[in-house]
Amino acid sequence: MPGAFTGYYLDGRSAARREASVRLAASGLEIALGDGTRLWWPLREVRQTQGFYAGEQTRLERGAPFPEILLIDDSAFLGALHATAPGFGRRFHNPGWRRSRVLLTVGAALASVAIGAVLYVWGIPAAAGMLAARVPVSWEERLGQAAVEQITASKRRCVDPEREAAIGAIVKRLLEPQPRTPYTFRVTVVDDMTVNAFAVPGGQVVLLRGLVERARTPEELAGVLAHELQHVLQRHATRLLLQHASTGLLLVAISGDITGAMAYGIESARVLGTLRYSRHLETEADAEGLKMLLAADVDPQGMIAFFESMRAAERGAPSATRYLTSHPLAAERVETLKQLAASHTTGFRPLLPGRDWTDLRRVCGG
Amino acid sequence: MATACPRCGAPAVERDKCAQCGVVASVYTAALEKMRRAPTPPPMPSTVRASTPAAPPAPARLGAPQPARPVPSGPAALATAVMTAAPAPASAVGASASRRLTFHGSGGTLFGIYVVNILLTIVTFGFYRFWGKVRVRRFLLSQAAFEDDRFAYHGTGKELLLGFVKALLFVGLPITALNTAARLSGDLKIAIASQVVTYLLVFTFIPIAMVGARRYRLSRISWRGIRFSFRGRAWAFVRIFMLASLLNVVTLTLYYPFFQARQQRFMVSNSHFGRRPFRFDGRGRDLFGPYLAALLLLVPTLGLYLFWFNARMTRYLWDHTSFETARFRSTMTGGALLAQTLVNVSMLILTLGLAWPWVLIRRTRFEFSCLGVEGPLDLAGIVQEPQLATATGDALSSLLGADVGFV
Repeated sequence: MPGAFTGYYLDGRSAARREASVRLAASGLEIALGDGTRLWWPLREVRQTQGFYAGEQTRLERGAPFPEILLIDDSAFLGALHATAPGFGRRFHNPGWRRSRVLLTVGAALASVAIGAVLYVWGIPAAAGMLAARVPVSWEERLGQAAVEQITASKRRCVDPEREAAIGAIVKRLLEPQPRTPYTFRVTVVDDMTVNAFAVPGGQVVLLRGLVERARTPEELAGVLAHELQHVLQRHATRLLLQHASTGLLLVAISGDITGAMAYGIESARVLGTLRYSRHLETEADAEGLKMLLAADVDPQGMIAFFESMRAAERGAPSATRYLTSHPLAAERVETLKQLAASHTTGFRPLLPGRDWTDLRRVCGG
Repeated sequence: MATACPRCGAPAVERDKCAQCGVVASVYTAALEKMRRAPTPPPMPSTVRASTPAAPPAPARLGAPQPARPVPSGPAALATAVMTAAPAPASAVGASASRRLTFHGSGGTLFGIYVVNILLTIVTFGFYRFWGKVRVRRFLLSQAAFEDDRFAYHGTGKELLLGFVKALLFVGLPITALNTAARLSGDLKIAIASQVVTYLLVFTFIPIAMVGARRYRLSRISWRGIRFSFRGRAWAFVRIFMLASLLNVVTLTLYYPFFQARQQRFMVSNSHFGRRPFRFDGRGRDLFGPYLAALLLLVPTLGLYLFWFNARMTRYLWDHTSFETARFRSTMTGGALLAQTLVNVSMLILTLGLAWPWVLIRRTRFEFSCLGVEGPLDLAGIVQEPQLATATGDALSSLLGADVGFV
């Protein structure tokens, strides 16, 4: 019979499957069951729920919530349906579109990669910068206070009002030419021989004893302080937190339903992604810190000299680790700083004139 | 529509008689049908029915307890036996009564679905995620078939979104708020107390989420238009789960096999197809020996014995699961499971995870290939009896990381 297809009919009430013969008409399907029952399915009440891929049975449903179902194996059925009832073309999958669907999928893949890359390189940093600027300073201060307490919980805090005042004077000198900031800066020195310093959100800077004693001149320490103050002023910690969170969201969007073992892979991707942001922020703090020194008429050669001495300590580490560290390589930092400082060679005022730096830097005694 | 000979496949059949093999097409087809569908509706209880379209991958298998005509075993041989038995169809009834679950999906198609999902999820700031999940589940279930009839998934993205919002509001946010407040208070005692409360809460919600997820997912799956359902009470499982956790500690995990059996009994015997329940008749003590062996052999075999133990567990759990008069039968072996896992893990590592859709399909196909159903089954007697379910448990299970599989 022309226009007739064989299939199976399910009534939605029992699991019994009945053989059916289906005839196509312009506005509906005429279904004849084995026992002589005839059904009429108007096409506007019929929906397709299966048969969108090659080799799949076509499944048509009518009614809700437990629909009657018609199953047709013949792959020619959908084509014939579109030919017979062109007015209902949108309701049913057209096998002729499968080729263009493949192309669209490839396009979607390319678009996803492109959007993901754009978001990662520009979108997330820009959004984090904008959001960070709107985070209230009081929140940052509370966060920073908790962080400082955590750092100083296990280590002795060095208290020496006179010598701390000297460091405070350097900070004051650096901040003087800057526009008013909402932060109240406080510098804490901790008794730890590691050469390191942290800027915590909300205006707190933590210097480790090792770093203070390594600085040969007040200008060297000023370089480090300028770098850390810029971390605070540029709200880098807050930005990093936001970037970490949004990188997570982006990866979740990309990975979709994936759970279990894949989660570890995703977490490492996230850490690697965040390290790149971190290096970027360090570079920014270097450049802005140098500008801060110049604005305060402090000789930038101190900062450069300090980073050069760090570079000497770093030498020997393989260059591949660059991608695994949160800070840029010292060699690169020094080069960048030298270029930025090249045109400024005169007009500097010394820091802490007439004071003995080798004595002042012994905040922790000894 | 061109008619081909139902017996030899010769393309043109004129006036119902095949020029190539001389068969009368309508008589042959009718005989085949009679064989497949014997007896004809209306259905009678306890009659044996099995119907399969004559599609090549799954030969008609008949689950009848009648005296069997000796036929060569194996699916291909069985198919030949059925086909050549056309002149006397009734005598072919009653060969080996095994029905297979089959899985048809291809990794490429699933990859395409994932790609589109990713794009739409990014563009919609994550909101499409729920609809994407539905698309994946719908695809996977529509590729799974029992007796050549595909399963269907009826969940919607809206349900999943609402479930997620509810789970977040009633469980996720309170727990996060409690923890944040405790941390900000700066008091160590309060911080420790909040940690304890959090653990207890999460611990209580894990079994609730497992039951909720199963209730939701089963209620949205159908086969031949009949919905599955889950009717167990969450609190009953919370009790089983809590007691098991306690006993596991007290007995140094020796209670584990008993818990597995109890959990399976709860999960299976509360699952229904239509209005009929599944049954589980396994006992913990049968699993105790294998578990003890696993404990002893795990270290000497560098953990590899785990695959054999898991395969053993899978076999035991399925072999003791039945529906009406039919029983599941699993043929999974430790070696096959190990080989499967090795290939899957290598595929994932070598492609940095891009092979995920193919791995998922491979894994599902493997699991299906190990599974069969034996014994007579009266499908016509199964009628619809849907149950209510919301998607909150489903969302909760992903939120708590207690998610298991896609159904």
